[in-house]
Amino acid sequence: MIRSATLARTAVKHRRREPDTRAAAWLGVALGISFGLCFATGVWSHLAQDPPPWFTSPSRPAGLYRITQGLHVTSGTAAIPLLLAKLWTVHPRLVEWPPARSALHAVERLALLPLVGGALFLVVSGTANVAAWYPWRFFFPRAHFWAAWITVGALVVHIGAKASATRSALRRAGRSAADDTGTPRGADDPSDRRAFLTGAAVASAALVVATAGGTVPALSPMSVLAQRRPGQGPQGVPVNKTAEGARVVGAATDPAYRLVVEGAAVPERLALSLVDLRALPLHEATLPIACVEGWSASARWRGVRVRDLLDLAGVARLDHVLVESLQPTGRYRTSELAARQARDRDTLLALDLDGEPLALDHGFPARLIGPNRPGVLQTKWVARLVVG
Amino acid sequence: MTAADPMPAAAAGGTSSRRGLIVGLVLGTPGIAYGARGALVDAADTHPAELARWIVGAAVVNDLVLLPLAGAAAWALRRMIPAPAWPTVRAGALTIAVLTLVAWPFVRGYGRDPANPSLLPRDYATGLAVAVAVVAAVTAAVAARRVLTVTWPSDASRSLARRRGPGHGRRARGRGGLRP
Repeated sequence: MIRSATLARTAVKHRRREPDTRAAAWLGVALGISFGLCFATGVWSHLAQDPPPWFTSPSRPAGLYRITQGLHVTSGTAAIPLLLAKLWTVHPRLVEWPPARSALHAVERLALLPLVGGALFLVVSGTANVAAWYPWRFFFPRAHFWAAWITVGALVVHIGAKASATRSALRRAGRSAADDTGTPRGADDPSDRRAFLTGAAVASAALVVATAGGTVPALSPMSVLAQRRPGQGPQGVPVNKTAEGARVVGAATDPAYRLVVEGAAVPERLALSLVDLRALPLHEATLPIACVEGWSASARWRGVRVRDLLDLAGVARLDHVLVESLQPTGRYRTSELAARQARDRDTLLALDLDGEPLALDHGFPARLIGPNRPGVLQTKWVARLVVG
Repeated sequence: MTAADPMPAAAAGGTSSRRGLIVGLVLGTPGIAYGARGALVDAADTHPAELARWIVGAAVVNDLVLLPLAGAAAWALRRMIPAPAWPTVRAGALTIAVLTLVAWPFVRGYGRDPANPSLLPRDYATGLAVAVAVVAAVTAAVAARRVLTVTWPSDASRSLARRRGPGHGRRARGRGGLRP
């Protein structure tokens, strides 16, 4: 014991922290994979949530978005300890003299600012979003999205610069500079490196277990930092926006409520009361609510098929359906159904959740629910379908 | 240094490939430009100046505050911990630090909404305390086991291992190895 302590002190005294290039290489590969997966699923989410004219999200598989978005949040979370371990490893290299050896080297070092700052911003803002905390003025999804392009662009520059050094560092794995020079250094001790990398992997796994319970219900008892608890919420399903928060309580409970189907493609405008809606053929579908924050919850919905409403209104051809909420304001007051999604047999104007009328917070009197749609596009308190 | 090993380990990280960098710039710059343009065009939503402050600020806080603090903590811990336990303690400390950082906004409950009890429904302070206690207990147990069972190699056996070359010393062998 005394021996060890003495030895440790000696080791510390002689230790000059050198960047461990092999640890940096391994962490770089792990980060490349996690950030790559995070970026791909993030772009996918952006396309699904805010589709450009050339893109229509597929309706099947119905649970695709809960998987891609669960992966997005999980891979981003898993990357946090890896990113910190990587920055810790290369930190001694931050200050170099001369700062740049050539113009090209200066460009390479300059690209580290958007890479490091961007990567940290992505994990910080992503985590804050999951915690429903917005200590800034920008709109999170947009800022996060554009910052991701900047970061990944800088990452590609960095990978280009470091690919061959990474390959050769990994190829020399197992060989230690301590063996060559006879001076053991912390940075070049393979067992120390292995322990460091294992530590980063353990931290990453612990963080995933602590947060992923909203996506993977089996982890929920251990997910002490999960944003949601499965089964907790009105009718056992979590809620993002409440009726009170959306300021729809009065309009949603008004007996004069009518669902209106109208628009350029509608020959006969419809105005249906809740009683009228319940008199139509009702269908069931088991579909998840999958939120951008990574949690998802499956439920059994029952309601009128949107395509039946379109047929009832005499719609022959359509391009899209704009679904409007009773909400007076809000970015997600409306959502759009492409023709294919509107005609899907599981796209419902739901009236019931798990056998009971919808709770006010779930969108009473009627809400949209469809396969493979991000949660914010499952419009609640639907007042109007505008068919174009 | 031999022909088969053209770069000493410490220098390898600083060795960037000129050609690779040019390929990286050709492929990566459009991504940076697309993101920057998007952030500027979308200014009403992105508040570009504030966004830039966050990105630069994240790097500055990390490099000038977080990592130096971590370095100081590592330096202090290392003096208190028997050497064989150090790698285990370092892993435990990293895990606890990361859990605490991520837990911060949950524990403070910045995003809580009294009208929506299904959002942030847990007692995160207790959850964090339990998680930290579990990690600390596991770390202590593994570290204690290592201190008690690992025979610290004598200087003689270490120099013997070094003379034999890589792969022969007990410290260099280990489970699994790093060889890809």
